[in-house]
Amino acid sequence: MLVVIPALNEADTIGRVIEDVIANLRADVVVVDDGSTDATARVAREAGAAVLSHPFNLGVGGAIRTGLRYASQRGYEQVLQIDADGQHPPSEAALLLTQVFDGTADVVVGSRFATGYNRAAAGYDVSMARRITMRVLSRAVSRRLHTRITDTTSGFRAFGPKAISVFALTYPTAYLSDTVEALLIAADHDLRVVEVPVAMKERLGGLPSAGRWRSAFHLVRVVLVVLLHRVRRPRLERGVQ
Amino acid sequence: MTLKLVVFVSTIALVNVFVVLEFVRRRKLAENFALLWIGVGILGIALSIARPLVDDLAKEIGVQYGPTVIFTGAILFLLFVCMNLSMHVSKLTERSEILAEEITFLRNRLETGASE
Repeated sequence: MLVVIPALNEADTIGRVIEDVIANLRADVVVVDDGSTDATARVAREAGAAVLSHPFNLGVGGAIRTGLRYASQRGYEQVLQIDADGQHPPSEAALLLTQVFDGTADVVVGSRFATGYNRAAAGYDVSMARRITMRVLSRAVSRRLHTRITDTTSGFRAFGPKAISVFALTYPTAYLSDTVEALLIAADHDLRVVEVPVAMKERLGGLPSAGRWRSAFHLVRVVLVVLLHRVRRPRLERGVQ
Repeated sequence: MTLKLVVFVSTIALVNVFVVLEFVRRRKLAENFALLWIGVGILGIALSIARPLVDDLAKEIGVQYGPTVIFTGAILFLLFVCMNLSMHVSKLTERSEILAEEITFLRNRLETGASE
């Protein structure tokens, strides 16, 4: 199994996160350094992770695609994706991994809201508009996948072998698409997606990845993506491996 | 007169939105640019409906002929779009330079068999 940690300027927390993973899971760890300007890559290497460094920032989705492609090339059968800021405790990972290991699911999403949306679980004050948009996205994605997905933007996920081979080349890279659109692509390839409730911690440090205006813009953009997804041509699939 | 205007402008705007969506469907246009152009279409419809408002605004800022305000707005907006696209091109240029450098060093490492 491979643990993929996308990281952008997380030198303060990445070391602890990697140590926590190694202490709790029998897995290799790869940190995808997405153009950090601090010591993220060095700290990660010293903590015992393999490091893949992007030449410049590609966004979380780009980092995950790199991680999944690495997993696919090296023949890993399971991938666990966690954040570098320490909000996804490795001790909770078993909840996600069970169904990937016994083959009943190809993608497992760890949800903050599976027991109902609440502000405390979101960990930050969410505006009314954002909450409504999130709910609309959740409903649209759930309908397409024939299963209830409450936390469409969760970055705590596990992937099985079929999902790894599909996503190694098609994982969307745009902000927010990396989570929402990925689920639609999963549906296109008949991947079985399951959501499980998990407890998340306060982030150890670092900043949210986007400001209010940027995330509002991208929420609208993702709504457009979701609306058009079924009639759109598939992304160019490159014949590389 | 006003109704004819609304219909005329709305038709153009709707065609614009349709064309944009079709490009998105064919993956010729990224969604963030699409949103920009759809925004333009909606603004066009809004302006044609709110024609009296435009005339009021023109009078308010001392412009004799209402539509001039729209033209000025449109030109400013297009300047903004040009600037925005220039910024994107600049970023892409910088990135392709970085990529070329990275590849140069990787090739060098392969050819000389050196590590680091």
